[in-house]
Amino acid sequence: MAMRSVKNASKKFNFWQIDHKVLQILKGKGIEILSSPEAWEKFDFVRKIFEKKPKEGYFVWVKKEVDFPLMTCITIASPKVSQDLRNLLVIEKGIKAKANVFCNAAKNNLCGVHNAKGKILLKSGVSLEYNHIHKWGQKDFVNPDYEFILEKGAKLIYNYQNLFPPENLNLRTILHLKENSSANINFIVNGVNSKIKIEDGLILEGKDSQGIVKVRAVGKKNSRILVKSMILANSPSRGHLDCQGLLVDKDSKISLIPALICQNKEAQITHEASIGKISEEQLTYLRMRGLSEKEAIDLICSGFLKI
Amino acid sequence: MKKILLKVRNLRVNADKKEILKGVNLEIREKEIQALLGPNASGKSTLAQVISGNPKYKITKGKILFFGKDITKLPPEKRVKMGIALAWQIPPSVKGVKFSQLLERISKEKVKIEDGKNLFEREINVDFSGGEKKISELIQVLALKPKLAIFDEIDSGLDIKRVEKVAKIIREKLVRKGVSVLLITHSGEILNYLKPNLVSVMLDGKIVCQGKDFEKVLRTIKKYGYEKCKECLKKI
Repeated sequence: MAMRSVKNASKKFNFWQIDHKVLQILKGKGIEILSSPEAWEKFDFVRKIFEKKPKEGYFVWVKKEVDFPLMTCITIASPKVSQDLRNLLVIEKGIKAKANVFCNAAKNNLCGVHNAKGKILLKSGVSLEYNHIHKWGQKDFVNPDYEFILEKGAKLIYNYQNLFPPENLNLRTILHLKENSSANINFIVNGVNSKIKIEDGLILEGKDSQGIVKVRAVGKKNSRILVKSMILANSPSRGHLDCQGLLVDKDSKISLIPALICQNKEAQITHEASIGKISEEQLTYLRMRGLSEKEAIDLICSGFLKI
Repeated sequence: MKKILLKVRNLRVNADKKEILKGVNLEIREKEIQALLGPNASGKSTLAQVISGNPKYKITKGKILFFGKDITKLPPEKRVKMGIALAWQIPPSVKGVKFSQLLERISKEKVKIEDGKNLFEREINVDFSGGEKKISELIQVLALKPKLAIFDEIDSGLDIKRVEKVAKIIREKLVRKGVSVLLITHSGEILNYLKPNLVSVMLDGKIVCQGKDFEKVLRTIKKYGYEKCKECLKKI
C-alpha cells in the first residue's frame, strides 16, 4: 500500500503504534483493544497464550460483529528501531469480520528491525478476511511469525502482500484447521534486491477441513527468494498448494519447495509449482503498444502478482 | 503525388537462422490503403512484425524508412510513437492485467466501439474468443492514433457480418481521417469492403506481384489459387 493510502487510512486505525509508542487506540462497541502488555495484566487467558509478558504489540478481542474492517498499523519511523511485538487477535463464535493489518516503514533507509509474533484465534463458525500488507524500506529486517487457529467451521481468507520488500524478510506462518474449517491463503511477494524466506505450514487437523495455499513470487534485482510451503493432513481433509515464481533478471534466484505430508488415507492433498521467465512475446506485444521495456515488465509482474 | 510514408527496401530477415524475408520491397504512401495477399507461411506476418520492430527477427540486409527516417534499428515503442500500429494476428494473453488498464496506458481518450464493451474489465486476451481478439486489437490500434495502421489477418475467423462491421470501423475511424492502412489477408474477404488502392502478393518471402485492380487479383487467386502467382513469378 502506498504511504499516502496509509496516511488516509490512519484516522480509522483501531491500533496504531509508531516505533515503540502506541499512538492511537480506537475502540468500538463489542471490541476490546489494548496494548498486549496491558492485556497480559488484565486477562488470565492472555497470560496463558503469551509465554511471558510482552513488551509491545496489540490485543484485539472481537466480541460482537461490526460493520467496519478492523485496522491495525505498526510503523517504524525512526532510524535503527528494533520492534519486538506480540500480537493477539481473538474473534468470538460465529462472527464475520474483516481485518486490514499494515506494517510499514515511513522511510526507505531507516535500517529498522520488525520482529512480530502473532496469534489469531478464530472460534467456531467465524468468517474472517485478513489482509496483511507490508511496505518496508530497503534496509529493514522483518521477521513475522504468525499462528492461526481455526476452530470448528471457521473460514479464513488470508492475503499477505509485500510489494515493497525489506532487505531481509523471514515470514513464518502456521495454520491449524479443526473440523470443517477452511482456509484460502495467498502470499504475494515482490523481491527487489532482497532476501526473502517464506515458510508456511497448513495443518489439516480436523475432519473435512480444507485449505488452498497460493504463492506468487517475483524475483528482481539480485533477489534471493526461498519458499517452503507445506501441507500436513492428519484427518480426512483436502488441501492444495500452488506455488509460482517469475524470475525477471539473471542475478536473482527463486527456490520453491512444496511439501505434502499425508497421515490419513482419506485425505487428498495436491500441489503444483512452477518458475518461469517473462515471455518475450508478451513483452514485445506491450512494447508495440508504446510501453518501454521496463514499463512492460512492471505491468506483466503486477498481473502475475494478482490473485 | 502523395508523400511516401513507409519504404521497405530490399529487406532480408532471419528467424531462428532461417531466412524468411528474401528481399522485400514495398512503398506505402500517405492516405493509401494497401493489401498484402499471400498463402500461409509466405512471410506476411513476419513483414508486419519487422516493420513494427519485433526484436525476435534479425534483419540481415535492407532498410525500413518511415517519413524518410531510417527506423530499421528503432525499438518497437519508438516506432509506435512515430505512428506505426500493428493489430496482431494471434495476440498473446497477459494474465492479471485488465484490458482497460492497458488502454489507459495507451491513451487518455476512450475508444468507443459497441462490440468492445464487455472486454474492458477482462484480462488481456485471456479466454477471449477469436472474434473478441480481433475487436480488442482494433480498439488498441485506434487508441494508438497511428499514421500507418497494419492489420494482420483482422478478417480471419470472422463471419461475413463481422468483417463488414470491422471494415466500416476501419474506414470511418482511420481511412477518413487520412491514416494509411496495410491490410494483410489470406482470404481477401475484407478487401471487398475497403477497396485498396494497391494489392501486393507475397510468395516465399518476396513480393512477386502488384496490381491496382484488387478485384482482378482476387478473382485470379480464387480461381487458380496462389499456384497461378507462382507461374507468373516464373515469367518475371
